[in-house]
Amino acid sequence: MTASMVRSQPERGGETLYTPRPARIARTKQLTELERLLEVEMADGSELGHQPGQFVQVSVFGFGEAPISVSSSPAKRGSFELCVRNMGGLTAALHRIGEGETIGIRGPFGNGFPMNCLQKMDCLMVAGGIGMAPLRSVINTVIADRDRYGRLIVLYGSRTPGDILFHDDLEAWKGDKRNEILLSVDREAAGWTGHVGVVTTLFPKVKIDAKGLAASLCGPPVMYRFVLAELNAMHVPDDQIFLSLERRMKCGMGKCGHCQINNHCVCIEGPVFTAREARRIHESI
Amino acid sequence: MAQKAVLDSGSLQDWLKTISSSTQLMAPVRRGRTSFAFTQMDDPADVRLDYVRTVLSPKQAFLPSREPLLSVQRGSMASAPQLMDAPFVLFGVHPCDLMAINQLDWSMLKRHGIEDPYYRSRRNAATIVALDCLPDKYCFCTSVGSSDTREGADVFLTPLKSGYAVESLTKKGEALLKSAKLRDLTRELAAEADAFPQQKRRRTILKLEADVQDLPALLDAKYDSPVWKQVAQRCYSCGTCTNVCPTCFCFDVREVADLTLETASRWRQYDSCQFSDFALVAGGHSFRGERADRARHRWFRKFVYLNREHGQPFCVGCGRCSQQCTAGISLVDVINSIIAEAKERAA
Repeated sequence: MTASMVRSQPERGGETLYTPRPARIARTKQLTELERLLEVEMADGSELGHQPGQFVQVSVFGFGEAPISVSSSPAKRGSFELCVRNMGGLTAALHRIGEGETIGIRGPFGNGFPMNCLQKMDCLMVAGGIGMAPLRSVINTVIADRDRYGRLIVLYGSRTPGDILFHDDLEAWKGDKRNEILLSVDREAAGWTGHVGVVTTLFPKVKIDAKGLAASLCGPPVMYRFVLAELNAMHVPDDQIFLSLERRMKCGMGKCGHCQINNHCVCIEGPVFTAREARRIHESI
Repeated sequence: MAQKAVLDSGSLQDWLKTISSSTQLMAPVRRGRTSFAFTQMDDPADVRLDYVRTVLSPKQAFLPSREPLLSVQRGSMASAPQLMDAPFVLFGVHPCDLMAINQLDWSMLKRHGIEDPYYRSRRNAATIVALDCLPDKYCFCTSVGSSDTREGADVFLTPLKSGYAVESLTKKGEALLKSAKLRDLTRELAAEADAFPQQKRRRTILKLEADVQDLPALLDAKYDSPVWKQVAQRCYSCGTCTNVCPTCFCFDVREVADLTLETASRWRQYDSCQFSDFALVAGGHSFRGERADRARHRWFRKFVYLNREHGQPFCVGCGRCSQQCTAGISLVDVINSIIAEAKERAA
């Protein structure tokens, strides 16, 4: 279904599907100790043309490529943003890279969150840790066209207050009375007056009606198991729950095998699956 | 109907010489006491057509163990693809390996509607001469439907006592045969060639105890079988099976900057789903962390997932993985013990 998004023939001028397109680092912002936000502009001035929840392959000279989800909404024109966690190697290089320097971009790849299924629905967003990076793209897409959607409920769990990403966005989202933004950290911390506990402990704090609800989740596998149990108990249908699966794609074109889970190719069929699909895939969560 | 003729043993060398004088020739040569390898030939006199199987399969002609993808410029990130498009003749491919090439054609060129440009380039450059063969104790081509493969070959050779029955299957094959000294196929030699497939079937001892089309459902029901743990107790996760497999196509992409730090080369190389870091993600979670999970994934990928998706198993019965497994694990034994377990349950 997403194959058509991918260029399927070698292009003119010696480009192939494996050729990264040059892109410029327009701005950088350190978000936390581990995470940095990169604003990127395609060198040829083109739009990335992504859907919320899609990912790109980012090339750094001498390090190769890594799949990174796009963190900005398609509503943002002229550039896009990547939230990069410093995990060593390529991502460490992206933490050192300066404004004006050039990286390579392939993609976008994958299906993304089905925004058409979210329209007219109450939108529940459950993010754990860096899972907020792709969900921010979804949330800002809702925000950019706010009247098309029902309630916006964001439940966002972080390990510590220092790990919370996108403070500016969180403040902006809270500014609209139609939005309910709830944060939580895993353990008590000095200076933190907000909620303490894993993200599922935020559920009793919001009134959620399973009818007309679409839930979008992004976080570690363990979060999915607990959040799905919670949503199940609330009788949210499995095909109204969307979750993004993290795999280390090498090619983004269904060839290299790295993102294969059972019979599914995450870079083509995913990374977003319904809970119904995910439950059928043994190795998914 | 393909044009049939005879190439006498004495004329083979002349034909190979003519081929190698005008184009690259990749053919089997003897490497060790009993081992053979597909190699770029300098001297066609070294070609050995009496092999049973090569250590690595001829897939290396289209999907080399390591292959350059791009050279990348520092600063601009401009990159140039390194496509291999020099014509070559791949000579002496057995029917099982031919079917494997057909499976790779599907996975690299058609699957998900996406065509891999590097594979396409090498595949277009090839003319394939296939050669029928007789099995040894590791072969089970007759169980997976690969024993009579003709598709994908440009020329097909059937061994005769005095030479080869020759079929031209494509225009490329016709062109290649122009330089071969052929004579007409007599009725006796035609009968000898026609009897070859039966001889092959008769001599194939190893068998899967179920139809390959039944394996997806049969294995699905055995997802949690103790057999996977038993395999894991013996398996070293060394990846030999996937390296030697003619249908395995998973790869890793690496990049290294040269000493001047002005250019970097990006290449791809075989990877293995048997390695513990194959399904590892950035957070440190591995989705197939247990050896048994990885073993099962290999059998399921061959006989369930891709079998269902493509309608044919991604195993061609060549016997390489079983012969070369460092722990002596037989792919067929594992399948057959699953089948036995399923039958026991049913009885």
